[in-house]
Amino acid sequence: MSRIIYWTSLALSLTFLILPLVLVLPLAFNGSSFLTYPMEGFTLRWFEVVFTQAPWVSAFLNSLMVALGAMVVAVVIGGLATTGTILSGRWGQLILSGLFVSPLIVPSVVIGVAFAYAFGRAGLGGGYVSLVLAHAILGAPLVFLSVMTSLKGLSTDLDRAATSMGASRFYRFRTVTLPLAAPGFLTGALFAFITSFDEVVVALFLASPQSTTLPIALFSGLRDRLEPTIVVVALLLSVLSLLFLFALNTLQRRSPSGAR
Amino acid sequence: MRNAHRGRIAALLLLVVPLTIYIAVYVAPLLSIVSLSVDNGALSNRFVQLSEAIGSDDQDQRAAALLHDLASMDARERAEAARMLNQELGGFRSLVIDTGKAAEKIDPTMAGLVAFDARWKERAYWDVLSRNLASFTWRHFQKATGFKPDETGRLRLAEGDDIYLRIMARTLLIALQVAVLTLLIGYPLAYAAANGSRRLSGFILTVVLLSFWTSILVRTTAWVVLLQSDGLINNLLLDLRLITDPLQLIFNRFGTVVSMTHVLLPFAILPMMNVMKTIPKTQVDASRSLGAGSIETFLRVYFPQSLRGVFVGGGTVFILSLGFYITPALTGGPGDQMVSYYIAEFVKKSLNWGMASALSVILLLSVVVLLLLGAGAKRLFGGRVVEA
Repeated sequence: MSRIIYWTSLALSLTFLILPLVLVLPLAFNGSSFLTYPMEGFTLRWFEVVFTQAPWVSAFLNSLMVALGAMVVAVVIGGLATTGTILSGRWGQLILSGLFVSPLIVPSVVIGVAFAYAFGRAGLGGGYVSLVLAHAILGAPLVFLSVMTSLKGLSTDLDRAATSMGASRFYRFRTVTLPLAAPGFLTGALFAFITSFDEVVVALFLASPQSTTLPIALFSGLRDRLEPTIVVVALLLSVLSLLFLFALNTLQRRSPSGAR
Repeated sequence: MRNAHRGRIAALLLLVVPLTIYIAVYVAPLLSIVSLSVDNGALSNRFVQLSEAIGSDDQDQRAAALLHDLASMDARERAEAARMLNQELGGFRSLVIDTGKAAEKIDPTMAGLVAFDARWKERAYWDVLSRNLASFTWRHFQKATGFKPDETGRLRLAEGDDIYLRIMARTLLIALQVAVLTLLIGYPLAYAAANGSRRLSGFILTVVLLSFWTSILVRTTAWVVLLQSDGLINNLLLDLRLITDPLQLIFNRFGTVVSMTHVLLPFAILPMMNVMKTIPKTQVDASRSLGAGSIETFLRVYFPQSLRGVFVGGGTVFILSLGFYITPALTGGPGDQMVSYYIAEFVKKSLNWGMASALSVILLLSVVVLLLLGAGAKRLFGGRVVEA
């Protein structure tokens, strides 16, 4: 009896979790323009449209540029923030961590309104710079957390060994601790990149028609008309997430703190 | 000692750049919407002379100042001021616009003003004016909550003004429905990931993480395609002859709740799974060896210990749901939109930064308060589990 309940509920839940994407994504290859089964042959023509037509190509390039820019800025501010926080006192650490992580809890719409107003006043409105800065603020907490995790997970033995050889606290930090935390930086960079690449809400408030990103193009496409090209874009974004998860897994296996 | 000192200096130097960027790009914008939500610059900057004269006992001086201010506004500014004052007291729109048009011809005394329009004799209009000359206003919050001070200064829920209050209640209800559904659907998955065979739990964890990292927009897209009237679900049901006409599955509450549940499911599963992994399997064995059936063992031994994960997972989903925007925008109808949607509309459609900011402040405060409550509850609840 209890086995039946367990397996039935598990099967239903698993179906709910998996089936939507498994059913919908193959429609990217559908021969007809209707998004339903049975599929009428196999075609790559919707991919061709996405890879050649203006709105999708330029949105993809915009997204790539914004995500790369946001990633660099997020790693710089997140990395500096983590190292600075670790070197501070106990209270300093508490307050600074709270500040640096807080963008994670602010609803995206609130960030969108605040940034749209402030950036508009500062004359940054609509451009590449404002998107990069906004996405960097969303990515920096993730860099902060992953670098912090890898720094805290380091064995203290190496640090002690360096101390015994007379290295100062600052020198130890620079030459021993930081290089060991490199996987944390890489993980954080990946997080920041994918966060920016997938972000819609803040971008909707900030982007101008020239700086439309891929998620915005997908969002307006969905509101406008359902076409197989939309499923193609969704499929490409899913593949990106898959690659991201794979990279994350590889990194975690290699990092010294991941071996625990 | 000197080393510690150098560490502090290094910390400060390292923090200069991130702190500057955070404050300039993130803290300052957030503070600016807090100040926008109570900012009354649009009115206080228009009635410059009146705000100086309003305190004087000389009625004629007040009348002259009002006429001077109205005359120096252009038609657009006057219409905007009239609209704002009209929100406070009906009838103000026509009063301000008519008086403003004729301002230069009216005799600049109280008698002249009353002769032009007898309403200027009534105290109520002057009270509203004097209340709204300050550079600070609660007007946006009053409109957002529907609560306004009456003549005696007590807060009252104004009739028919509870539109945003109802939207907030709707937001809370949808968040609650989604949280309960994610828990119901997520619990068996979390249980299997924590207790199943190595292969099963590895599979479930991979699927959950993959779902977690697939963009919200992509998963919403899948639901839009599935639920549309000639979509997969309707076609399947039609082919099976279970229905004769397509069901309306999207652009209503059903579509909103189902797609949000799917999008937020990983956030419920992961915390539950982490807690379930810490429940010792020996306790279940002990309960079984003492004669309890498998269902009784689950209900009395396992489930109570997994509740901490249920609260963390459900709380996370609830808080995240409150700020949801794109999923309801794509799968809901006009009656299913949440607070975030109206915030976005105020910015994009009417450029009403005051209302957008007031609703944003309310949303942000709700999230922060819930998080603090959650942290407090976790401390209490977590402590009890450790004791047990």
